[in-house]
Amino acid sequence: MSFDFALAWDSMPALLNGAWMTVLITASVMAVGAVLGFGMCLVRMSRNRVLAAVGAAYVAVFRGAPSIVLLYLVYAGLPQLSIVRDTPLWVLFASPLFCAILGLGLNHSAYVVEILRGALSAVPPGPVEAALALGLSPRLVFLKVRLPIAVRYGLKAYQNEVLIFLKSTVAVGAVTIADLTGAANEIFSMTYDPFTPLVTAGAMYWAMTNSLRLAFEALDRRLNRHLAAGVPDSRPATARRADPGSALFRRLRRSPAKPAE
Amino acid sequence: MGLLAYGADGYGDELLAGAWVTVQLAVFAYALAAVLGTLMAILTLKPRGVRWAVGRVYASVATGVPSLLVIFLLYYGGTEIVHALLVPFGVDERPSISPFWAAVAALAFVYTPYLADLLRGAIHNVPKGQLEAAEALSVPRRQIWLGVLLPQALRIAYPGFVNIWVVLLKDTALVSLAGLTDLIAAAKVASGSTREPFLFYGVVVVFFVLFAAATIRLANRHARRLDRGVRPSEA
Repeated sequence: MSFDFALAWDSMPALLNGAWMTVLITASVMAVGAVLGFGMCLVRMSRNRVLAAVGAAYVAVFRGAPSIVLLYLVYAGLPQLSIVRDTPLWVLFASPLFCAILGLGLNHSAYVVEILRGALSAVPPGPVEAALALGLSPRLVFLKVRLPIAVRYGLKAYQNEVLIFLKSTVAVGAVTIADLTGAANEIFSMTYDPFTPLVTAGAMYWAMTNSLRLAFEALDRRLNRHLAAGVPDSRPATARRADPGSALFRRLRRSPAKPAE
Repeated sequence: MGLLAYGADGYGDELLAGAWVTVQLAVFAYALAAVLGTLMAILTLKPRGVRWAVGRVYASVATGVPSLLVIFLLYYGGTEIVHALLVPFGVDERPSISPFWAAVAALAFVYTPYLADLLRGAIHNVPKGQLEAAEALSVPRRQIWLGVLLPQALRIAYPGFVNIWVVLLKDTALVSLAGLTDLIAAAKVASGSTREPFLFYGVVVVFFVLFAAATIRLANRHARRLDRGVRPSEA
């Protein structure tokens, strides 16, 4: 039971390759999830009962299923349909990367729908009524008043969801993509060192999740700067100036993100 | 639908066996995480000191890495880890770790800090008077915890605990990548040999959605029972 630093250093290129794949998938899924989630949220909140039911079913299925099952369904299931197999769509679905992004994106977008829906319904009626009374068009009221407030309300839940799904990208190993976990596994199968590659990969995941968390917290502070959120630094100004790094350290010590439903 | 038949003609029995593995895995891992999470919550109750710092580092690691990575680590390296832990006690054995127990330990390792965080917050939210009243009546320490504080904290933390249960249940799906024949692995074999992925993965999706819904229903009923002594305005 020991950590082999030479092996960790030698396997760095392979692991970084895998880490890049993880980052790429995460970023793509966030983009897909934002677009699909926003669209389906409008469907889910539609006044039309049928559309709303479709949205509810979308959320129930794609949020309730483990993402690995959705990956298998997209990767192995959809090519069975002739509309996929016999059309140019086949080019897309033959690529494991596309299937992985679509599968994880479906799962992620279902969470985005619920987060956005909760945030939109939490927007107080006052600002909306004020904007309408001022004669702004409903579209403008939605885009300039409701949505910006909702984004601030939903950011924390969205952060939790993104951190959870960043960790769930390990499932892409199921559709033959070599992500960070896959790379670590590959090194294990060549060296039979059960600790070094996995612990190194774990450290990389830790760095990824925490930098993403810090980025979200910075965004949260920026969006909510009018509220002066967060614990103020109570030390005298001289001490604050002398040791600016400790503010960052305090933030790092804050409790970790909890999974949100 | 004949493919789902029980016995040699269909995959019904294989799927059922896989679902049983999934359920067992989730229940054992959750129970272990609940016990360890309770201990951790009690040990890290005060936000300072060595225990708190150790707890924070552990929570940061456990919540910062994917559970599949921890499963692999315990699966490949579990024997060595147990050996290293046993050597100080004069036991020089290398027990082999089955993938099932490696997965249970890994999921418990990952979800313990989540539950501990919930429970710690809940313990802080139990009205102070409860502890003071118990101390004034000189109730023994252990009974204050087991009979007064923890039951009330558990009631407060209950919705969060149910949330984590659903997250953990879905996370068990990853164990098929570590070679365990759970429901997902069974469905993969079945759909590979019959070329009916929609049918079998559809069954898996239905299982997870319905099982989660059923447990949430059960939990809500139980929560109402736990809340029976509390006025609705406080609940």
